[in-house]
Amino acid sequence: MQPTWVTEATVLVVAGKGGVGSTTVGAAVALLAARGGADVLLISVDGREGVGSLLGGAPLDSEDRVLRKVGRGRVRGRTIPPQQAFADYLELKGISGVLRKAASAAQLDSIAAATPGLEHLLVLGKIKELERAQAADLIVVDAPPAGHAAAFLHSAAALQKVVASGPVRTQADEVAAMLADRTRCHGLLVTLPEETPVNETIELAYDLEEDLGLDLAPLIVNGCWPDRPGMTLSVTAAAKAQSTKLSSANRAALEVSAEFGRMRLDGQRRQLARLDELLALPRLLLPRLPTAHLGTVELDLLADALSASVEGRT
Amino acid sequence: MSAVGETAQLASILQTASLLVTCGPGGVGKTTGAAALGIAAARRGRRVVVVTVDPARRLADALGIDVDAKMFEPHEVTGVGAAGGSLEALMLDAETTFDRMIIERAGDEAKAAKILANPVYRSIAGSLAGAQDYMAIERLHQLHSSGLYDLVIIDTPPSRDAIDLLEAPERLMRFLGHPIYRALTMPSRSFAKVANAGTSAFLWIVRRLAGPRLVEDTVEFFRSLSGMEQGLRQRAGEVADLLRADSTSFVLVSSPRSEAIDESTHLANAIIDGGFGLDAVVINLVHPLPPALDDSLDLDALGEGPLAEHVAYHRELLALATSERHEMAALTDVVSGVHVTEVPLLEIDVHDIDGLTRLAALLVGE
Repeated sequence: MQPTWVTEATVLVVAGKGGVGSTTVGAAVALLAARGGADVLLISVDGREGVGSLLGGAPLDSEDRVLRKVGRGRVRGRTIPPQQAFADYLELKGISGVLRKAASAAQLDSIAAATPGLEHLLVLGKIKELERAQAADLIVVDAPPAGHAAAFLHSAAALQKVVASGPVRTQADEVAAMLADRTRCHGLLVTLPEETPVNETIELAYDLEEDLGLDLAPLIVNGCWPDRPGMTLSVTAAAKAQSTKLSSANRAALEVSAEFGRMRLDGQRRQLARLDELLALPRLLLPRLPTAHLGTVELDLLADALSASVEGRT
Repeated sequence: MSAVGETAQLASILQTASLLVTCGPGGVGKTTGAAALGIAAARRGRRVVVVTVDPARRLADALGIDVDAKMFEPHEVTGVGAAGGSLEALMLDAETTFDRMIIERAGDEAKAAKILANPVYRSIAGSLAGAQDYMAIERLHQLHSSGLYDLVIIDTPPSRDAIDLLEAPERLMRFLGHPIYRALTMPSRSFAKVANAGTSAFLWIVRRLAGPRLVEDTVEFFRSLSGMEQGLRQRAGEVADLLRADSTSFVLVSSPRSEAIDESTHLANAIIDGGFGLDAVVINLVHPLPPALDDSLDLDALGEGPLAEHVAYHRELLALATSERHEMAALTDVVSGVHVTEVPLLEIDVHDIDGLTRLAALLVGE
């Protein structure tokens, strides 16, 4: 089942606070779209090469490579180093070969890449070119983690303030237009059902929607434990309710997990309720997998869960 | 501080170190950990300042930091039970620190005002070529040498492959040593003579891409910085020495998830290879490991119901906690000889002084 936010627009920017799993969720979305027959390009802005292996391919680099084929669909992946985006940009703007050579001898690419705002704009500009060239059915952009995600997406707006004219201004205008056009671009925010990630997600959601006009897909709440209302009963009462006799060792073991689990589950319910109250975005819950390991098997499970979650909502 | 191969407990590091650097991947509770270490040290009678870069709002509130105000001086944190010691906190604002440095180094007020008003300076202040990271260590050098604190704790921004903060002085020096920068900072007459092809290309491209006004501002900005390079270079050297001093300790904070463990392993190697003293590793947010169930419980015969929910949760928690311990072993192997502290995931999210105090006790094993 393909959600509309995957089929409606070409670019899907995935963002979340560090540690909430936004890179993994981005990879799971790419896989889900490929299962539906789409040709997907996954772009890691922050150079998270490992996501290539997660999809069963080689670690990402600046070459566009196929990471995984699924039926008629496939997932490709690449990074966009700002230096390369700068070189591509000069070429695209018809800067002569002689001057390009001089620029490269003077390591202008590294200066451009180190200039804040410009570096991000170059990368976003390249993504916009890929979108314009219809380089894929879906382009999943793994944005830098939270604080940096805002800076990354705001780079065009920030440069519009400093630069009044010229190609850099045009580039900034075009990128801003793409971000604000819901037929071309969506944002996908990822969070955990915990206090700090929830707070930062709410802040980021308002920021991106109001300031940049970015259309947001449903919020992904990653790492959710299944809600088990029966756990409010004590272990003894629960055993009685199911007419089961427990050994004292088993009762003690279950009490250890129950005591911890109840508190965490309470916290999770509280955070989901806060999201209900403070953020008018539909939500998709992804389960916490019972493992700390993350590999291709786990990614398939997450794509399954994402698909089920999308179906559950409709 | 201690060479790899020798263990040092966090408690004794807090007692003796004069600079403590926490680093690690994002989302592992690094800032919270730095604040808790600050509390633990203050409770041991030390005068402590915790410097953070980007604290979560509620944690900042707990520490008395107003994230919207541009702070330069640390604030006292109250209610931490610091017997004889004290705890202060500072949220670092790169722009404010950069401005201060310009004012101090520019020599005269008119020159400083001119730089501060330059649009190019305004748009890049605090982030050019790692300047943000550089400002962080500039400020910690000031706090460290002020004589006001026994211990300065700096919470570095999340990092994956390398510690940007530690390379900042060298990166800034590389930038200042760049031929274009050199040409741009020369007095205008010699500039015309020496400006090489690269510099001309640079200015031509800036003009072509962003208009003539920006070229003027850029040239003026670089010229106004001339003469400050010497001081910057000297400070960068001092900071590099300070970070490698015996009284400086690095604490790596991680979580037991495989992504975090991978990043932490890279970081641990970067710290050790860089000649810095990695003295402790904290693995935070570890799920508790419940005892396994014995086979007196017939799971197949157990239908749906509250006990089945208890059993299902127990099974998932046991599987998760077991695999976390397996992932953690990979990091423990890399840092063999360095003391590793495991901190359990608490039933609550930590963001107030009570929570921090509890975390502090867990960190130092009280």
